[in-house]
Amino acid sequence: MNRTSTVVLALGMALALTGCGGNAGIQVEDAWARTSASIQDAGAVYLTIKGGTGADRLVGAAVPSSVATSAGLHETVTEGDEGAQMMMMQEVEGIDVPAQGEAKLEPGGYHIMLMQLAEPLETGSQFTVTLTFENAGTMEVVVEVREDQ
Amino acid sequence: MNQPVPNACIEPMVSVEAKPVARGETATLRTKPRILIACLVGLLLLLASCSEPQLAGMVRQPTPNVADVTLPDVTNGGREFPTIAQESRLLAVYFGYTQCPDICPTTMADLRSAVEDLGTEGDRIDVAFVTVDPERDTPERLASYIQAFFDDGIALRTEDPARLAKAAASFGTIYEVTKADDGSIDVAHSTLLSVIDSQGNILVQWPFGTTADDMRSDLKILLKRRT
Repeated sequence: MNRTSTVVLALGMALALTGCGGNAGIQVEDAWARTSASIQDAGAVYLTIKGGTGADRLVGAAVPSSVATSAGLHETVTEGDEGAQMMMMQEVEGIDVPAQGEAKLEPGGYHIMLMQLAEPLETGSQFTVTLTFENAGTMEVVVEVREDQ
Repeated sequence: MNQPVPNACIEPMVSVEAKPVARGETATLRTKPRILIACLVGLLLLLASCSEPQLAGMVRQPTPNVADVTLPDVTNGGREFPTIAQESRLLAVYFGYTQCPDICPTTMADLRSAVEDLGTEGDRIDVAFVTVDPERDTPERLASYIQAFFDDGIALRTEDPARLAKAAASFGTIYEVTKADDGSIDVAHSTLLSVIDSQGNILVQWPFGTTADDMRSDLKILLKRRT
């Protein structure tokens, strides 16, 4: 490798790193929300977070007021003994994203709860959710509305 | 649990097909037929046990019966609705609430896709949704919710807590609605979806996490038994 190409390569890498900003390579895939029934007040956003080079933690989520009054991180948990089990939701402070690993927000587990939907979530529509990570800062993600996973 | 059955059905067939290879061995001719007969008997027994396809969901023994449960149907002017299927049909019953963002819509959407995948056979399935949160789920809200998933969905709602508790208990389901000091309401509930025949027998119950594919295959088996 000659000197020029080394410099070009170094510059390219520097640019790539700048492009990553403070996200440390963290990525969000397949963000979706289920179509909501017309009277439904609450909705849920599901997505997969691919961890970057370092461990991180999802600590917040927000949506425009045109989508819902507020958004929060929730987990569906099972309580009670075998044979008398119930499921319920609880708020969580954060969701860990392991380095190079992944965190899944999926039905029956973690989700971003949308409270007081402004309008029903229509199949095929999209909206933006702003995720806040402890280290990577904020990231805007487009959420697709569809009927099924 | 139902996994070993298809394997058990296949393995004996393989061993029977392999037998003719030994025909030429005259020295063991007398013992061979016995082995062959034993294999055939074993195969028949296994086939007999395979004839009833296994369900993916939970089948309770003894079979619970909910024929004596009735609840007001707010999609039909509040008329009492007995939780039994019509003749040669099936009725799926779920206890939930409309402000449930995760579990209830996931279950209803999975059931919808299972029913849709059954095509015209799916027309023989009715779906009823019982609210465990009648205070917030007004009749209109409830009806509109279930009918967003199923055009002919049945919305069942009683404001009598004792009646609701008794109905839920018949289905083996429980729930708890708690109000926090800040006015927020938490609802915990069993997530069983029950399938009932025209005698009011609960044929199968699916816990949360049952895939739409498993629901479809169970419904197919149960519909076949009803024809």
